[in-house]
Amino acid sequence: MSSTTLVLIVALTSLGAYLAATRFAGLRRADLRGAVMETLECLGLVVVFFLANFAVGTALILGLRALTGRFISVYIVNDATLAVLSLLQALVFHRWRARSK
Amino acid sequence: MDVHPITHAPVPDRRPVRGLRLLGLAGLLLFAVAAFTPLANRLNIWMAGLATLELADAIVVLGRGGADTDGVLTNRSLRRTLYGIGLYGDGLAPVLVLSGSAEETHARASLAQGLGVPSGAILRVASTNTTKGEAAELRRLLLPLGHRRILLVADPIDMPRARAVMERAGFTVLPAPTAATGPSDPESRLGLLRDIVSELAGWMYYRLAGAL
Repeated sequence: MSSTTLVLIVALTSLGAYLAATRFAGLRRADLRGAVMETLECLGLVVVFFLANFAVGTALILGLRALTGRFISVYIVNDATLAVLSLLQALVFHRWRARSK
Repeated sequence: MDVHPITHAPVPDRRPVRGLRLLGLAGLLLFAVAAFTPLANRLNIWMAGLATLELADAIVVLGRGGADTDGVLTNRSLRRTLYGIGLYGDGLAPVLVLSGSAEETHARASLAQGLGVPSGAILRVASTNTTKGEAAELRRLLLPLGHRRILLVADPIDMPRARAVMERAGFTVLPAPTAATGPSDPESRLGLLRDIVSELAGWMYYRLAGAL
């Protein structure tokens, strides 16, 4: 039930945003496809940054464990914050790349 | 007529962009499947296996997540402890073994005593941080007492690795996974899938390190 409700809410606001954008903000319908493609690019970057953070974090923790003999939990990298930070990294990188073109 | 050579600007390689888009699409699909379908729940049930709730020499409650700074057990640690206490209450074993960090075992023991488990029936495993470490400590503590047949209390997703490590340490393991159906809301399902991926990574690490 909660899944359906969430999807319905997002569908409604997306439809509202589409109508407002095309009727009042002067955005072109033809550009929507390109925007979706760029969003997918950005999401791809999120995945790349997330995997990199996960791999580097795990290697770092295991390396520190081996070097220092102290226990550091690998569950540190199993934190939702890492996904949010990866999103932030990807957004900055994506915008940086767009401005450099 | 002058002929000018035509100069071409270098054509940008579009392959990385296409790859990123595909990766983004894959990530989006994975997100949708993880959040809005029962995939995580199915995996949870599958990893739990069948519970074998029979008479044993000891009930072993493995550590998970420890206690917060205020000494309160984390959700998972609390679930495991309550389940172990319930099994003790059902008379399935004469001993309740509580494992985990020092804070965790202290909080767990206080809770167990508060819920009627006699202090003489509670054994605490010295502070350890890994499943492998717990197995070594449990072996040192329980096998000399003749407690070989154990009811192992762990989360469903942790059961395959925990069971294999305990069996390798010389125990006969009766799995007693905590509730196996898992959550029903999208956010918790995402969290569960993240934990499953993390646990699978741990399982692979144990395999590579020769601990399984």
